[in-house]
Amino acid sequence: MTNLLVLKEQLKNFYSKNDAFIIPGLKFLMAFVALLLINGQLGYMSRINSPAIALIAALTCSFLPINLIILIAALFVLLHLYALSIECAIVGLAVFLILFLLYFRFSPKDTAVIILTPLCFALNIPYVIPISMGLIGTPFSTVSVSCGVVVYYLISYVNGNAAALNAMEEESVIQKFRFIIDGMLNNKAMIVAIIAFVIAIVIVYFIRRMSIDHSWTIAIVTGALASLVIVFVGDMVYATQISIIGTFLGCLVSIGIVWVLQFFVFNVDYSRTEHVQFEDDEYYYYVKAVPKITVATPDKKVKKINIQKKPALKQTSVNKK
Amino acid sequence: MLNQERIILMTKMASYEENEGKKNVAIGGYFRGDYISLQLIRSVINGTLAYFIIVGMYVFYDFEVFMQEIYNMDIMAFGKGLIVRYLITVGSYSVLSYIVYSYRYSKAKKSLKCYFNNLKKLSKSYEREGK
Repeated sequence: MTNLLVLKEQLKNFYSKNDAFIIPGLKFLMAFVALLLINGQLGYMSRINSPAIALIAALTCSFLPINLIILIAALFVLLHLYALSIECAIVGLAVFLILFLLYFRFSPKDTAVIILTPLCFALNIPYVIPISMGLIGTPFSTVSVSCGVVVYYLISYVNGNAAALNAMEEESVIQKFRFIIDGMLNNKAMIVAIIAFVIAIVIVYFIRRMSIDHSWTIAIVTGALASLVIVFVGDMVYATQISIIGTFLGCLVSIGIVWVLQFFVFNVDYSRTEHVQFEDDEYYYYVKAVPKITVATPDKKVKKINIQKKPALKQTSVNKK
Repeated sequence: MLNQERIILMTKMASYEENEGKKNVAIGGYFRGDYISLQLIRSVINGTLAYFIIVGMYVFYDFEVFMQEIYNMDIMAFGKGLIVRYLITVGSYSVLSYIVYSYRYSKAKKSLKCYFNNLKKLSKSYEREGK
């Protein structure tokens, strides 16, 4: 256990010293993996369907704010949908526009979730997202997670029905349009996933705020179980034909990943070195504020050491003469 | 001479100005009514655009039926239905925006109050030294 704590402290030190590189590095990694997965799942436009283009776009993204990264990912998706069929592109554009107009209006802090949710779905660890957002977010994160789920199922639906859409070349535009919209609105798996994730986030959020021991661990396990139960019930009711073993294993792996994340990332205050400049009448000040690193363990461990009882002092009678 | 306490106070204030302070100062520069009205207008515009997109998709989805019925149906009733739904949608979105932006405004003002108190403290510290 102490080794893990030491590792945690080392990570904190590493982060404080190198945060200028770590944030762009993480953004680059997220953008690169997201674009590679988009190209892998869709990949209908050959001009952008190469790792080199994904790499260049990801390198650009590493210096951009998260909202622009989401815009670039959405652009990639729309370009691929356009190469497949214009009706797909119109539906995709409508979904993204509604998302940007209504949701991004509030500039929420957790917009990265919209990229991370489809990523985790594609990597078969979807439950990482609702449990993590329950731990570090608020119940309002349900909106961003639901948007992420909708984006994933849009991409997944187009990917699964690309052959059917190609075969419908001769059908009218309206028929193709109806096919895509029906597929989106009647997608029971998507609705079950949204319900499961929303309930998981709310459960995790309320349990981790309770003042009981190990509330975070209990929250993680309860949230995961609740979402599993809802997914299985949804599978029985709507016959969504999901793989039970796959879902169960994915859930277990997600619990493990979230547990590691909550130990190293969520419970820690990663304060950074700051450089500020100001002046007064007499001096110019160039100040470098370095945070003091203290061990901040959330659970206090009380070690009881057996104190040997000191032998009682023998009262020596003093003979008073 | 360098006054350590003052430098620490100025450092904390400079750090605030560079991080949260930027957004809070931008919000705090408005009167409450002006800020909320501005945000509500932008929300109404966004809500209207989103509503038109949804109506467009709905019409396009049922396009053949729509084209056949357009001569038979009561345009006034259809228009009225559209307008009522528009008012409900944009109305509820505006209420939500009002709640969110009033909350953000009060949070920004509270944070700026702390900052201005620190400014006063700093100013008093200079006056004391000046004496």
